[in-house]
Amino acid sequence: MTLVSKKSGLGTLERLLALCLVAVPVIAAASGSMSYWPEKPIGAKEQYETAPMPPGFQIVVTAQEGPVFADARGRTLYTWPVHQLRNGPVGERKGQPSCDKTIYTVNAGLMSPYPGGFELPEVATRPSCVDVWPPVIAAEDAKPVGKWTVAQRKDGQKQWAYDGYALYTSVLDHQPGEVNGAISGATGEVGVRRPASAPSMVPPQFKVATRLTGRALTTIDNYSVYASSKDQADKSNCVGECLDDWKPIVAPAYAKPRGEFGVIERSPGIYQWTFRKQPLYTHSGEPFNKMYGSDVPGWYNVYTQYTPKPPADFMVQESPTGLVLADKKGKTVYVYMCADDALDQLACDHPDSPQIYRFTVCGGGDPKRCLERFPYVPAPKDAKTDNALWSAMWIDPMTGKKAKPDQPGVLHVWAYRERPVYTHYRDKAPGDMTADQWGEFYGYRNGYKAFWLRTDFGGRE
Amino acid sequence: MKSSHSFSMTIVGALMLPMLASASAVDTPKDWAPPGGKIGYVLTNEISWGVRETPDHKEECPDGFNIGPREQFAELFPKDGKKRTLAETQLKREAEIWSPDTTPDEFPFHEATGKYALGINLDGKDSPEDFESDDGRKGIDNQLFRVVGCIRNYRQEGELGIITTKWRAQKPFNRVTFELTGVDSLKNDPEVTVSYYRTLDTLLAGPTGNYMPGGSQRVDARWGKRFIATAKGRIVNGVLETEKFDRLLVPEDGMGDPAINIFRTAQLRLKLTPEGAEGVLGGFVDVEQWYYAMNTSWATHHAAYGQASAASIYKVLRRLADGFPDPETGQNTAISGYLSVKLVQAYVIHPEAQSSSVAAK
Repeated sequence: MTLVSKKSGLGTLERLLALCLVAVPVIAAASGSMSYWPEKPIGAKEQYETAPMPPGFQIVVTAQEGPVFADARGRTLYTWPVHQLRNGPVGERKGQPSCDKTIYTVNAGLMSPYPGGFELPEVATRPSCVDVWPPVIAAEDAKPVGKWTVAQRKDGQKQWAYDGYALYTSVLDHQPGEVNGAISGATGEVGVRRPASAPSMVPPQFKVATRLTGRALTTIDNYSVYASSKDQADKSNCVGECLDDWKPIVAPAYAKPRGEFGVIERSPGIYQWTFRKQPLYTHSGEPFNKMYGSDVPGWYNVYTQYTPKPPADFMVQESPTGLVLADKKGKTVYVYMCADDALDQLACDHPDSPQIYRFTVCGGGDPKRCLERFPYVPAPKDAKTDNALWSAMWIDPMTGKKAKPDQPGVLHVWAYRERPVYTHYRDKAPGDMTADQWGEFYGYRNGYKAFWLRTDFGGRE
Repeated sequence: MKSSHSFSMTIVGALMLPMLASASAVDTPKDWAPPGGKIGYVLTNEISWGVRETPDHKEECPDGFNIGPREQFAELFPKDGKKRTLAETQLKREAEIWSPDTTPDEFPFHEATGKYALGINLDGKDSPEDFESDDGRKGIDNQLFRVVGCIRNYRQEGELGIITTKWRAQKPFNRVTFELTGVDSLKNDPEVTVSYYRTLDTLLAGPTGNYMPGGSQRVDARWGKRFIATAKGRIVNGVLETEKFDRLLVPEDGMGDPAINIFRTAQLRLKLTPEGAEGVLGGFVDVEQWYYAMNTSWATHHAAYGQASAASIYKVLRRLADGFPDPETGQNTAISGYLSVKLVQAYVIHPEAQSSSVAAK
């Protein structure tokens, strides 16, 4: 059977070029380790829909979150949607910005079982919400455009909003494409800020999920999308018994190619979606949010873009939960997450923020014990990266803060999104993950989460 | 890893179910041997950590139940108008959870007591601290019962009793299956082999949410490699009792929070039928791992629902630990304990069968 492209006209050279865009990750186990990223960077970025915007704004395709709205300098824009915590909501409702100059001095008691009213750490130097999250101020005569509206702040100023939610930038972002104001995994019991996502250019049957490995294509109802290395550009070779296990994602008869999505006619009147010329499938019988199909030789998940490959000091390790990032000895890598319990929910996961939270859970308040139990992942002194996600920094382990190279006792460590990453002393063998969820509220509020690349058998991404 | 294969096996299993049912429920045989001498049981219910409960709890908890994090916090830091910092209150309490110690507790702790407990005589001795089983077996080792027996979270009224069984059934991380081979009789067999696997499939559920025999479970030989273990056992009057597994890992995924409990040695004592099994999985539980698995699975918030104070529990755990002394310090590193469990029959599909099925296509 010959399956041909509904949109014909591609020459041989074009087909070959198109196939070069197909990223087939190498997931072959070798000495217990594996790679989850394409061997050679492909550089393809996720495409987005053009959206009407007020002047002075743009869309920037970031390495992890894909397309986000940004200001004229390329700084990522964030919203703070209301989020229900155990003892009450935090965040902002549509059209009601609340981030202001108030400097909170006591905790709000939003985290059961602990009550509020206790003095926050480093209260004398605690910033206000707007010190950390500068509002995106609109001109007095600003007019709504599309989903962009103008909200009235209590201080009399006007503020841009997207989809009703007031917009902010983060003082942690310095370069276009950085999203350092966001957290790296699931949010859990924290009222976090989210980057204002620009709409991905995907047909309505699809959506894109942000994972630490990249922007994964899924169906609208959360089933993983797969492609086969046995297929050819705009040609499916999955016929007969192959169809027992793999279900072509059928396109409506009226579907038209758009962006990197195309349509092929599998058989008369039956159309199948393609992405970058790859015919798309789901894995029959696989529950949603799983990636079991990628264990079948020749089949792989489809990404609109991969995150940059971690530095060579890291590897991918199998664990009972799935795939986790590990250091070069195979020890599971952890990220630290923290937001304080004030009404403005300021992050405390960054070396510039108070370290008492982290010291509490990693060493009972003792930095030396923290260093023993959650050692930093060391970086070579000449470590360099070519992306905004991974960096190396000097840290004073006794304060937990950034340091200068010539300070005594400082360490040069790897950091993800400007937060150091760690290993854990109780992990003995590759794939151990005994400190996943370590800390307050399963590690979300003040604690450690394993750097999960795949969590088919538990955990949250 | 062929999910469609899994489904077809489930269907096959379901079709075989009437045969099982007719062999037991309808016309219960006095003896029965599974086809090919093999029968699998998948874990569906984790009833408790070996807690024997009496209706009014007076027998095991004559002094009542323990207080938890919320009550302890209120006692330590009363609403008396005094200004306090987060560091000296909440963070101090969390530090005690994540860096516990064995100094004397500020609060009284009520251990479970009494003559009886669930379990097995793990060390072959009948010591003063041991219990007796309800069926008259002496020397029952179950010190973990003393630790958790009077904490609401670990009783049927607590969150563990209410929620853990649901998680055990729902979460794929938790799926574990025992397979008995060499079974000549499910009533009396002096030697069988018991193998333990993490398996990959959802449970076969009935229309009312009950779990039914006749499903299939594929062995997870990749992600679940570390769980695989084997021991010899014997069946006496329909009760399986195994020799010691050298090490048994029991996965426990709660709210997306995977943890693994380590039994340094483990034994099974299960009442078997063709449709299911019920009893205890017990042995010497690694104290440190049990403690941290508890904390990564149960935030202080959830632990507070059932008055489970981690810092207090740690002190008692270390004090009552009764196995695997550290060669340097002499301190015991494991505690005798059990999971009270229910399992249903399932067909165990091994990797060879999975790949031959693929090759046949």
